[in-house]
Amino acid sequence: MTHLNRYTCEEAFRRLDDYLDRELSAEEMTLVHEHLEICAGCAREFNFEASVLRGVREKLQQIDLPDSLQARILAALGNARR
Amino acid sequence: MYPAAPAVDSVWAGWASDFSLELFWPGRHYRSTNPCRLIALRRTVHDMPTESDSLMDDRPAERTATAQAAAPLGADEFQALLVEVLPSAFGYALRLTRNRADAQDLVQDAALRAFRAMKTFEAGTNFKAWIFRILTRCFWANHRRRQRRPNTVDFDDTPDLYLYARSAEHGLPWQGEDPARTLIDRLGTERVSEAIGQLPEEYGVVCTLYFMEEFAYHEIADVLEVPVGTVRSRLHRGRKMLQKSLWYLAEESGVVSELTQREGDA
Repeated sequence: MTHLNRYTCEEAFRRLDDYLDRELSAEEMTLVHEHLEICAGCAREFNFEASVLRGVREKLQQIDLPDSLQARILAALGNARR
Repeated sequence: MYPAAPAVDSVWAGWASDFSLELFWPGRHYRSTNPCRLIALRRTVHDMPTESDSLMDDRPAERTATAQAAAPLGADEFQALLVEVLPSAFGYALRLTRNRADAQDLVQDAALRAFRAMKTFEAGTNFKAWIFRILTRCFWANHRRRQRRPNTVDFDDTPDLYLYARSAEHGLPWQGEDPARTLIDRLGTERVSEAIGQLPEEYGVVCTLYFMEEFAYHEIADVLEVPVGTVRSRLHRGRKMLQKSLWYLAEESGVVSELTQREGDA
């Protein structure tokens, strides 16, 4: 790939969310990745954003199912089946 | 809604002593350590997706899962699939209702409705997304009675990279290996949950499905019965709002001062 095919900072930044969510095409993912390999500024910002997403995700996924809920729902379904 | 970009001569940019770039934008102050961002930021404002959609949007969601010709779901099979998704369904319901008792009622209500409608489930499609769609409908129809807490954060005109920029202003990004992680960890689960709860409802719901369930855009669209483009734009804005909300809580709770102090002592 030549430098003519490379993304600028602007082009890479516009794809930040989709890149982090893997919602880009394979070609676009590669182009963003290549830009991040040569641009320390963008790489720092992308890494920061990715870390925020990971951190928030881990915090929000720490929820336990109440012990009684499953039994309560299965009992309700049992009644509905009769 | 995003404001029109100011004229070129109203934007002042200069090099700070630490060679980072400061951009003074009417109504905001953005400081980037990446010089290329000056141009990117200006153009990004024009390229932002517009939020013209609303919760009243009733266009059909994009269907990506392929339904297979198969026997309808049996009661036992339904129950087995339901048990698998109950923990995440409760987590989602808790985010919607913000109350454990209401969340349990909502999940039970949705489970019963799903059971009665199980013949409409298309075998081979995403069961979890189907349950979540029913749960969301139940919430809108019957469980949305509690007044939401008034927002304490002004989300208008939240710039990109908000948390990064504010952290940089306080010298936080340069602490340790993973500064964002340090900030989120110090905030803790309760405050991160509160930050999501601060978001306007249509953004909070999308962010909840995205962060908690790791649904792809098309799956969130399927659950909420809106187009994928709507999910993308709400998620884009919702993430920015969330960062502002997180920073607000970090300042309010003293996490920012604590980390700044620690950096000063180091």
